[in-house]
Amino acid sequence: MAHNELILNNVTKRFGGLTAVDDLSFTVADGQIYGVIGPNGAGKTTVFNCITGIYKSEEGSVQWRGEEIRGMTPYQIVDRGIVRTFQTIRLFGQMSVAENIMSGRHIKSSQSWWHGIVPTLGSRRDEKENWLKVQEQLEFFDLGEFAATPTNSLPYGLQRRVEIARAMAVEPTLLILDEPAAGLNDKETLGLVETIYKIREKGVTVLLIEHDMDMVMEITDYLTVINFGKKIAEGTPVEVQANPAVIEAYLGSEDDDDE
Amino acid sequence: MKNFERYAFPIFFVVMAILPTLLDPRWQAVAITFLIFAVVALSQDIILGKAGMFNMGQALFFGMGAYITAILNSHYGWPILATIPLAVLLPALFGIVLAAPIVHLRGDYLLVVTIGFNIVFVQVLQNNLGGVTGGPNGIFGLDPLSFFGTQLTSQLAVYYFAFIVLLLTLWVMNNLEKSKAGRALHYLREDHLAAESIGINTRVYKIFAFGLGAGIAGLAGTVFATQYAAVSPEAFEFIVSVLFFSIVLVGGSSIPGVLLGVFVMFVLPEIFREFATWRYFVFGFAMILAMILRPRGIWPATFGKIPKFLIKETRHGA
Repeated sequence: MAHNELILNNVTKRFGGLTAVDDLSFTVADGQIYGVIGPNGAGKTTVFNCITGIYKSEEGSVQWRGEEIRGMTPYQIVDRGIVRTFQTIRLFGQMSVAENIMSGRHIKSSQSWWHGIVPTLGSRRDEKENWLKVQEQLEFFDLGEFAATPTNSLPYGLQRRVEIARAMAVEPTLLILDEPAAGLNDKETLGLVETIYKIREKGVTVLLIEHDMDMVMEITDYLTVINFGKKIAEGTPVEVQANPAVIEAYLGSEDDDDE
Repeated sequence: MKNFERYAFPIFFVVMAILPTLLDPRWQAVAITFLIFAVVALSQDIILGKAGMFNMGQALFFGMGAYITAILNSHYGWPILATIPLAVLLPALFGIVLAAPIVHLRGDYLLVVTIGFNIVFVQVLQNNLGGVTGGPNGIFGLDPLSFFGTQLTSQLAVYYFAFIVLLLTLWVMNNLEKSKAGRALHYLREDHLAAESIGINTRVYKIFAFGLGAGIAGLAGTVFATQYAAVSPEAFEFIVSVLFFSIVLVGGSSIPGVLLGVFVMFVLPEIFREFATWRYFVFGFAMILAMILRPRGIWPATFGKIPKFLIKETRHGA
């Protein structure tokens, strides 16, 4: 198997006359916690959408384990081990936490469509096994007591955790987190940092967008900074913090947040 | 709610099993209608309730099953029961072929397209396509049920035929709830993008929902043709699709909700004859009220069951 590496090469995504992502290249190595940061509207989420198949970039290539994944559908990309969460949490609101996490088992389940009409011994066993996997995730994310609770009645911080648990149920190789700390208080953010470390210990590569600078500088191994869709810097957190272009992007313009 | 399900379903089954022996022929006919329309409404629930697709052409699949049975029986002499495989498979295939190019449409567009299909279907029947549909009068004089050469001419036989079909439908729906495919329908209904992003090929499962819903409706069509020993185009008009659509919306996407809706729509008018002409009026108001007061239906969907071992006591104040 090819190395678990995500390589973006000259990715460009345009919306009409607006170039949201402009000739962007970066490489996420196996086992890294990789950060993409940038001021609001810099095109970070668009980059993630291009990686996960929600958008198809007009130019460039997105390679995963040596395979071109640009132009694949989201579920094909999930099948190759890349799973994401959303900046605005997208859970199946009326469904319970356990069912939400079970959705992550969909692609791993061996059931065919016709097992929905006539079950077999095999499909029953598969069903049981996947629910046990859900139980593992419930325990890993300390969500056991909420298993039967509909997610739209949970507080925001827990919803974030459920979303990450759902993504982890896929057993991904690369986990993409879109602003996982957004809307969390300090205590919850600390919990999140621990969770991300624990996820990495499982051998999962983590790619994240984040606004919380303290958190990004603490947990990431490597960073790419983008502004107006273009890469303005990359390097380790220490290198990036010292980079004048980054300082200017964050401090030199009046309307950016610096949480 | 749990206790309700534990007791209500067995009671319902027992009552339905002994009911026809207590009824006179007229009420037996009403009860058969209830069973058949319950099956069609449940099939509509798979497409509209579970998968959330605005299909307003369910009478098409229902009618197709009925006509396949009628044509095979009257023109080719097939026994009624022998027509079942085709009366299920052909509507299911037709549902898949119809759905494939349209399932990506947004709800309102899908609605209009399915209405269109329904209207075209009735036109085709009325114009006697291929000389087999019998035109505006339809086809009549179908054989009664026969089982290994035994003629089952009584209405009781039709009742139990319909009852078995309903039980089969409920069994399939129960299996669906406990399967990957059934959950996929819930997921894509709740959040399409999130479902795709977690690895669900939503297109395949939408088409699956159409195929399954169409197949079950086709089976109900066979029972319908058996009950009246006849079929005619007006039974499958677009307005009938509207009824099934509203039953699922108003009742809520749950088995009790759908059964309740069918009861109100098709049985109450028989009990209160004077109510019959008013039913659209009353049901129209019920729809408006239900949509305002209970937007998820009178008896809302309870989603797929999660296994007991996952449910823990909530630690209060934790």
